[in-house]
Amino acid sequence: MAEILFYVLSAIALASAAGVVLAKSPMMSVLSLLGSFFCLAVIYLLAGFQFLAAAQILVYAGAILVLFLFVIMLLNLGDMGAVAERSNALLEGTAAKLGAVLALGIGIVGLVAASRAAFRPVEVEPGKGLDDLNALALQLFGRYSLPFEAASILLLSTMVAVIALAKRQRKTDRGGGKA
Amino acid sequence: MNVPSEHLLVLAAGLFAIGVLGFLIRRNVIIVLMCIELMLNAANLTFLAASRQHSTAQVVNLDGAVFSIFVILVAACEAAVGLALIIALFRLKQTVESDALSEMKG
Amino acid sequence: MSGTWLLWFIPLLPLFGAAACGLIHFATLAARKKDPSASGPSALAPLVACGAMLGALGLSIAAFKQLAGLEVEHRVIESAVWPWIHVGSLHLDISMVVDPLSAVMLLVVTGIGFLIHVYSAGYMKGDPGYAKFFAYLNLFVFSMLMLVLSSSLIGLFVGWEGVGLCSYLLIGFWYEKGWPAEAGQKAFIFNRVGDASFLIGSFILIKLFGTLDLSDVNAAVAGVAADPSKAWWLTVAALCLFGGCTGKSAQIPLFTWLPDAMAGPTPVSALIHAATMVTAGVYLVVRLNPVFAFDPMVLTVIGTIGAFTALIGGTSAIFQRDIKKVLAYSTVSQLGYMFLGLGSGAFAAAIFHLVTHAFFKGLLFLGAGSVIHGMHDEQDMHKMGGLRRHMPKTFVTFLAGAAALSGLPLLSGYFSKDEILAHTFAHGGFYYVLWGIGLFTAAVTAFYTWRMVALTFFGKERFDHHHVHPHESPVVMWAPLAVLAVLSVFGGLLGLPPVFHVVHQLEHWLAPVTEPGRALLEAHGGVHELSHAVEWALLGLGAVIALVFAHLGFRRYVKGTESDDNVQRTQPALADFLVGAWKIDAQYYAKIVYPSKLVAFVTAVIVDQFAIDGLVNGAGGLATATGDRLKLMVDGSLKTYALWIGAGAVLLALLWMFV
Repeated sequence: MAEILFYVLSAIALASAAGVVLAKSPMMSVLSLLGSFFCLAVIYLLAGFQFLAAAQILVYAGAILVLFLFVIMLLNLGDMGAVAERSNALLEGTAAKLGAVLALGIGIVGLVAASRAAFRPVEVEPGKGLDDLNALALQLFGRYSLPFEAASILLLSTMVAVIALAKRQRKTDRGGGKA
Repeated sequence: MNVPSEHLLVLAAGLFAIGVLGFLIRRNVIIVLMCIELMLNAANLTFLAASRQHSTAQVVNLDGAVFSIFVILVAACEAAVGLALIIALFRLKQTVESDALSEMKG
Repeated sequence: MSGTWLLWFIPLLPLFGAAACGLIHFATLAARKKDPSASGPSALAPLVACGAMLGALGLSIAAFKQLAGLEVEHRVIESAVWPWIHVGSLHLDISMVVDPLSAVMLLVVTGIGFLIHVYSAGYMKGDPGYAKFFAYLNLFVFSMLMLVLSSSLIGLFVGWEGVGLCSYLLIGFWYEKGWPAEAGQKAFIFNRVGDASFLIGSFILIKLFGTLDLSDVNAAVAGVAADPSKAWWLTVAALCLFGGCTGKSAQIPLFTWLPDAMAGPTPVSALIHAATMVTAGVYLVVRLNPVFAFDPMVLTVIGTIGAFTALIGGTSAIFQRDIKKVLAYSTVSQLGYMFLGLGSGAFAAAIFHLVTHAFFKGLLFLGAGSVIHGMHDEQDMHKMGGLRRHMPKTFVTFLAGAAALSGLPLLSGYFSKDEILAHTFAHGGFYYVLWGIGLFTAAVTAFYTWRMVALTFFGKERFDHHHVHPHESPVVMWAPLAVLAVLSVFGGLLGLPPVFHVVHQLEHWLAPVTEPGRALLEAHGGVHELSHAVEWALLGLGAVIALVFAHLGFRRYVKGTESDDNVQRTQPALADFLVGAWKIDAQYYAKIVYPSKLVAFVTAVIVDQFAIDGLVNGAGGLATATGDRLKLMVDGSLKTYALWIGAGAVLLALLWMFV
């Protein structure tokens, strides 16, 4: 039962990922991405990673994608008006064509790599929750405390960077009136 | 769920390839950013598959899971900075087309 | 003269003078920048330079007096020691030492140097490089005094190189003419060859003695010579040092630079290329006389080279038309005499000839300079003649110098030359051959000297009366001539032969210095005495030969240049051979200079310009071309960059998977 659910969700995830790329409207892309993330969250759950499934939904769906939506709405890109892409043809230009070839290549390389991996059967019993919060916390604050601190610095610097980017822009707006 | 880890990796490869495809062929920088999120998720899935594969019935290996958390964190940061840059770009050029950003060339 | 530190000021005064003259020269250049005809403060230069020389001369005389007041065995004054290099077991200290030998050299260098400085004040007047000339001249005197006074071979070498440098600078003083610059380079390169040999000799001495202090080396020679394995090395060292002398003192095979060195101003020829620098080799041999005297073979080599140099130099002077070339070859020849004397173990006689030669050859060069000055820079004797009426003072002094050079009886050159020949004769054996060569050269010397006098001062006036108006030189120029003329005439009093039953002043004075070498010679049986009868016979023979050939030379040329033209017509090959100094220089050019130039040309054009420049330029061109292609990849498009990154990632992935 769970296996069938996995394959179905995988198909939906891939399909909605393709939707992100192919959708004409950025709004549609965001919604497709949301669908893809939800499917992945369920797959995490099926694989036994309950905490990560929750984090996936909270952080990605709840925070990041909302941020994307905000920006799209802010810039008024939803209706493909003045700022729409000049051409709807996706494979326009040599770079895009080569890019498609490259993406295909990467997919093939990934498939070959996956098929070549000689994995032993998974020993974890199905349905068992793997990422026990307690154990995860012990790992994070024990073995991975240094990367954890580094991550906090990253977050702080991101915050400062975003504020600086936004603020500087406002200054030139006021002073130069160029934008 | 009793799916072999290879199948998780195949799914990750597919998502990653689609992400690369979108990254390379779309001109809208916002969609390019979304494709990066897609690729990061593919990477996440690989980490989790590895974590699952390396766990035994008795001992759970959480290295992959911890890395997933870090990846999510980096993804969040990247999205924040990226979107801030997009807003700045939009104010400067009135566009979000990546083709408009071709001043840095040899 | 109380403090021995004052000895340092003998060389330092000219050095300060050189620095001051250099500054005056720069001030002159600055003044000339505003007004091209301005002479600036250059008139001060001769005063400064002559003042420095006068100070050095005064100190030298004081040092000489103090030295003469000491006991014979203790006749050494050493100044404060400057510890120069202390590395491991090698200790090089420099101090100024005055002993009888360096006192003689001091007086010659500062005395004649002072006279020539005074003369130059007149001779170089109006030259754009007036102050520069005095700067170089003073620098030369500084180097020469370092050479003479230094207690160590390394200090001597510093002076040795310094005089070489100044010689180069002064030969090429009128470098804008072209050929003086080349002559300067030639002199420098020839000296370099000799100096390399000198250095090798010095290194061997360090190895053998562990010191380069001259008195220590001299004292240790007897001990080292007793050890056969070391004695062999000592012979090599002596020959190498003598190799250095052949460069500096213009002996076979390195003498051909000296005639070319006449490209320099005439006072330079007088001071450097007749009186002082070229005698440095003689000084070195006498200074280190035990090193050379311990092996009779070395002395024979020196004597042979000296005799043949005397012969080649003398015969080459016969048909020269350039008055300075005659004197130049004559100098080569007279230096050969000095080395012949050294080779015979007659160290004092060699120094005696050095001193008298400094008097009369300095005089002759200055006289020639006076003639050239009066003839508006004409040096060809065929275009002179009859000048005695126009420049009587120059004529009279020149006559004194010529008489001394040709060895006319009772003049300085007569005694010094005959003393050398007598010592050579006394040696016997192979030295009879050398004596014969010396005697023949004496005859040749008398001949060319009086040919020169006759062509220059007698006969018809062969110059163009419309353009050339010969005139007597000013007093600053003829006064030094007069002083030197007196010295040339009476210089012989320094060393009268034993048959006169008076003390040989110079030999007596130098005895403390030459004693170690003499003792070594005596050990080999190399010291000979002549009976008074033989000595009288030799003196008489020398006098007769000098008088006869002087007469011959004078008679043949007093009428004019027909005699030269005759030889040119009937014996062109011989005349060419002798004018070209036995074609040795031509051989150098054919065998060494032109092949070297060819190699240099090939290296410059093919190896450097074609191959190396090609490689360098090719590398640059390749980088530019590659960059031109590669920059197309950097088109500014985000997608293209991402494409390259992705392609690289795929490539790496494939690499990890399959390799």
